[in-house]
Amino acid sequence: MTLAFAGGTHRTVPLDLRERLAFSADQVAEALRRFRDRFPGREVVLLSTCNRVELYAAGGADSAAPSPGQIVSFLAECRGIDERVLAPVLDGDRDEAVVRHLFGVASGLDSMVLGEPQILAQVKQAWAVAQDSRTAGPLTGDLFQAALRTAKRVASETALGRERLSIPSVAVNDFARGVFERFDDKRVLLVGAGKMARETLRYLREAGARDIVVLNRTAARSAELAAEIGGRAGSLADIVAELAAADLVVSTTGASQPVVTLDAFRQAEPRRGGRALVVLDLAVPRDFDPRIGTRPGVWLTAIDDLAAACDANRKSRQREVPAALAIVDEEARRFMGDLHHRSTAPVIERLRAGWSETGDAELERLFRRLPGLDEAARDEIRQAFERYAAKLLHPPLKSLRTASHSGPPHGLLDALKRLFDLKD
Amino acid sequence: MGEFVAGISVVCFAASYLVALACEGSRLLFRSGIRGAAMVAFAAAGLVAHTLFLGWRAAHEPAVPLSSPFDWYLLAAWLLAGAYLWATLANPRTPVGLFLLPVVLGLIGAAEISSREPFPQSPATQAWGAVHGVFNLAASVAVAVGGTAGVMWLLQAGRLAQHRAAAPGLRLPSLEKLAGTLRWTFPAAASTAAAGFVSGLVLNAVNHRRGLLDTIPWSDPVILRLGALVAWLVVAAAIAQAVRQRPGAARTSAFLAVASLVCLTASILWGVLGHSRHGVPPDAPSPPPARVRP
Repeated sequence: MTLAFAGGTHRTVPLDLRERLAFSADQVAEALRRFRDRFPGREVVLLSTCNRVELYAAGGADSAAPSPGQIVSFLAECRGIDERVLAPVLDGDRDEAVVRHLFGVASGLDSMVLGEPQILAQVKQAWAVAQDSRTAGPLTGDLFQAALRTAKRVASETALGRERLSIPSVAVNDFARGVFERFDDKRVLLVGAGKMARETLRYLREAGARDIVVLNRTAARSAELAAEIGGRAGSLADIVAELAAADLVVSTTGASQPVVTLDAFRQAEPRRGGRALVVLDLAVPRDFDPRIGTRPGVWLTAIDDLAAACDANRKSRQREVPAALAIVDEEARRFMGDLHHRSTAPVIERLRAGWSETGDAELERLFRRLPGLDEAARDEIRQAFERYAAKLLHPPLKSLRTASHSGPPHGLLDALKRLFDLKD
Repeated sequence: MGEFVAGISVVCFAASYLVALACEGSRLLFRSGIRGAAMVAFAAAGLVAHTLFLGWRAAHEPAVPLSSPFDWYLLAAWLLAGAYLWATLANPRTPVGLFLLPVVLGLIGAAEISSREPFPQSPATQAWGAVHGVFNLAASVAVAVGGTAGVMWLLQAGRLAQHRAAAPGLRLPSLEKLAGTLRWTFPAAASTAAAGFVSGLVLNAVNHRRGLLDTIPWSDPVILRLGALVAWLVVAAAIAQAVRQRPGAARTSAFLAVASLVCLTASILWGVLGHSRHGVPPDAPSPPPARVRP
């Protein structure tokens, strides 16, 4: 049984080429169908995300998986790209290296953002598409199941994916949640309607925020966003009144001067009744005067602070890599041991069949000689024969299993074939 | 079964709490899939042993809970250990034990070096003694809970002020939740401490009228320190209430709560290590300043 893969990621393939190489969902199904026609009897799974395109192939004893070079040619042909352009930037490998690579990919160890969890869902999806297209089989099934199991172990036994890395998620989960226990009774004030504001709002809504007010220089833009998120639109001219009522502010305007000065905040402060205020100032340059952060009860976090927290988290994830790699290594060795053992199955089957045939013939002869035996006695004798055969077969099968852990047990298999005259 | 329960010692449950504390501390060092279960198991085992120990003493010694300094401290530790177990089960990812278990172990330590001799009792004084003990116990538990919440508030606020992401093993409760805890601990501590102090004065008056005391010992160090503690708790509760609507009220409350815990600790140390005739009849010999049990 052989495994092979070829593909490219953000590490080696330039963005423009990656865009041309990427497969849409329909194109994946079409490529799988073409692969099945081109390489009959082989199993294949195609993983295509915005950062990677990889094709995993598996073959049985009589139909080996295509080589990485053949896979590169196939990918080039499918996407209409010159193979000479593609080949230098794609990687490929065979057998155990494929297993390690896929396990690492599924665990997020090969991702652009180390430990990101989305890749696991994408790997699962790629396998599901291959199953639907009937190009996945028992070998790729075992391989991908083992990859998902490895990824789950890495996620639960290491802190690789624990710390958040995106600024909005750190802003909400590490800072806003540090101040507030719940968000369903809090007023969220969105100043500006940029992409970062929307992303931050997504996390806040997940945390339960419902009462949202959008302020923007353009009234139409704030009305549009407010309608989209089920909030209320307001005018930037009312910012002091809105600050007095807000519990959490997310500010992302493109203003060149602070939108909220210390004086403006001081006007709102007496009307706040001592309530805590979280300000996530995600704008560059800053929308809030930094001195506001020194006011009692105000928790002002600027984008640079969040970026520094993200960097610290990234370093923390990096420290988890050796532990994650150890899990990948352990699971890969276990998978390869099972795979090698599986390659001994035909020989074991023939061995069992041969012994069974001989046993049945002997039993038949014995029963003819002893016609007085009732059915219960015959069953007893049959079971005794089966137990005897199983006990005799146990030591060689155990040796085969043990030898499988360190590679394909070709020597033992040849010996068994010659000793018991097993024909292919 | 009886033999087994009789064999339970303070060391049994103190060791269980210590292991639970070590598990809590290891959160800062490494991740583990079984640590949570081990931590809860040790804390629960400690609490069960603690309960059986107190139950055995109540049933077999002339020492119902609160009837001696030893039993009083152990009962306070038992309540806080129960609070820790409840908080851990409710919020498994929050290392409350790092802050609460040292207080539990401290109280057990205080019990160990306190007298096990029961306070003198008569039918009349027994009721007032129980009221006095229960209120003082409630006040101490409220101060301990408030103090640990205050420490957590200051740590969490410090992290947020320094714009540091939460450390994976040290995810503290939100400031809002901690401030909510602080809000109820101040009035609870002040009112129960005041009630405990007043009931203590009534107890002394009853003893005096019945001829058990020649005079009410106003200058007894225990009465003085308890009076000072009650005064502090009342003032702290008043300040916390007065600044409630002001910005930064939670920070003030956190500092007051920590200061209250420090005052309580000092008061306990004074009581345990100091020399007092509190709760001792006038004709009895003076108790030794401290008794370290083997």
